[in-house]
Amino acid sequence: MKAIEIIGKGEEMHGRAYIPSGREEAGTIIKKLKENGFAHFVMLSCVDWIDKNEFELVYHMWSYEHKEHAMISVRLPRDNPSMFSMHELFPQIETYEREIHEMYGIDFEGNSRLTPFLLEGWHDTPPMRKDFDSKKFAEDVFDSIPEIKEEEDEGI
Amino acid sequence: MRYEEWNKISRIASRKSLWMLHFCTGCGAVELPPVMTSRYDMERFGMGPMATPRQADVLLITGYLTVKTLKRVVNVYEQMQSPKYVISFGSCPINGGMYWDSYNTVKRLDRYLPVDVYVGGCMPRPEGVMNAFLELMKLIDEGKARGWEKYQKYYEQYKRNQKMAFGFERGKNEGD
Repeated sequence: MKAIEIIGKGEEMHGRAYIPSGREEAGTIIKKLKENGFAHFVMLSCVDWIDKNEFELVYHMWSYEHKEHAMISVRLPRDNPSMFSMHELFPQIETYEREIHEMYGIDFEGNSRLTPFLLEGWHDTPPMRKDFDSKKFAEDVFDSIPEIKEEEDEGI
Repeated sequence: MRYEEWNKISRIASRKSLWMLHFCTGCGAVELPPVMTSRYDMERFGMGPMATPRQADVLLITGYLTVKTLKRVVNVYEQMQSPKYVISFGSCPINGGMYWDSYNTVKRLDRYLPVDVYVGGCMPRPEGVMNAFLELMKLIDEGKARGWEKYQKYYEQYKRNQKMAFGFERGKNEGD
């Protein structure tokens, strides 16, 4: 059975099943797909739609039986975004959630490992958000570091 | 024997047996297997790869450095025995390269560590790497590769810059 038939909604997009979902029902959808052959959780990705003031979480799943790729899309508001953790369904989601928490600042309820992951000592805006000005940050931080002043005499 | 003369002899000896620690942070690592193996064969210059910092003479920084990696590089560099030399490899450690506006790569390596030889390019070919090795040997022979002495002399400045990059100065890094 195809993913769209299992869930009863969604559309075909570039050969993949695209299933829009609400914040609450996403867990049920993923569980249902898992029970119906979508045993491989590929990844969790995040998009910052700054014009619509929304984050989009995309849960990618793959079925070896149907050879089908399903994407479950959850839209969250940009202010205080929070989502339910799915790590009980697939343990590897915990790590993806950790990364997205760090890079986008999305909170995952029920994930107890939302500690610093790839960045060290980062206290600015989460860097993958579109309102984070990477160029300005680089100019402020790295261009302000002075060159080494050498003395004139120089045996060195 | 006078100190100067002994120094000269020791330089001649050391330039013929440079052991290289390659800190493969970025994409530059792929250029090193041909340099090390029979195609370009750096061992004909007496150079060999070395796995540990304490036995190495040359630190090769291949590619971009993030702030996080710079901490480790400084750690590695300070473990090496003098005389020690740094080769910065590719355009990223020179001015940031294609990561010029990135939030997490340090743009200019020479503000944090003394660099003896630069190899430009993205990526430099193995010929460029070999050329840099020969250039370094020439500089050692002439007594001009003295980055490690500079590091000792301007230690305060280097430390200040490193701390600025790590965020200590901005008061944001209380965890480290």
